[in-house]
Amino acid sequence: MIMDVLTKTWALLIGLTAATAALAGVSGRLAVILVLALAFLKARLILGRFLHLGAAPGWLAAFTLPIGIWFLVTGVGYALLVR
Amino acid sequence: MTIDDLPGELILWVLIVSELAVFMAGVSVMVILGLLDPEGFATAQSQLDGRMAALNTVVLVTSGLFAARAERDAAHGRPRAARRGLLLAALGGVVFLIVKGVEYAHDIQAGIGIDSHPFFTFYYLLSGFHAAHVIAGIVVLLLVAYRAASAPVQAGAMFWHMVDLIWVMILPAVWLIW
Repeated sequence: MIMDVLTKTWALLIGLTAATAALAGVSGRLAVILVLALAFLKARLILGRFLHLGAAPGWLAAFTLPIGIWFLVTGVGYALLVR
Repeated sequence: MTIDDLPGELILWVLIVSELAVFMAGVSVMVILGLLDPEGFATAQSQLDGRMAALNTVVLVTSGLFAARAERDAAHGRPRAARRGLLLAALGGVVFLIVKGVEYAHDIQAGIGIDSHPFFTFYYLLSGFHAAHVIAGIVVLLLVAYRAASAPVQAGAMFWHMVDLIWVMILPAVWLIW
């Protein structure tokens, strides 16, 4: 059976959520950076597929760039200051 | 890249950007406080049940799928299917709130209050404010389900995806990284 794009998006989001849950018990900088990266990917999928920004030229990047920078700054701050 | 390229009503994008800014500001302050007291935040966060948050992520994402399908059905002139999708999405919201209620009850029984630690102040504020958006989203989904016309259903689905998006963005700082 071929999945439509909405179901594929849902499956990807569930997969990313499962990966996040697997990392929940892991401590350390790398795990935190991976958790933030997974959150960014989930946000990008919701914006691009469910909110249709993937079909709006330039707008997906306009939304994901500041969100990506925000996650990056959080990750860098954590890596520099914690443990 | 023009304003006209944005899908749906422009005012919804103004709302989405505004809500994202508010939650990102709140999470940023929480993260700054956490970086100044990582051990305190880690100890506080360890008292939360991350399984509830994981379950609610699955519930909200699945609910988002129903909303997206409803939007597609409404756009293709299938109001009955759209209505069914919207009701399933709203049901997902109700399940989310029940899980959240169970989580809060467990926290309160464990003696965790809003003033127990700065971490918990942000925990209750961010998750509570998000839960208020879930309630608003359920009402919106039910309202647009009545006629299930294309433009209102798209607006309702966009609001619901915004609620989903905000959840994904507050999740790491509240449940995961400390």
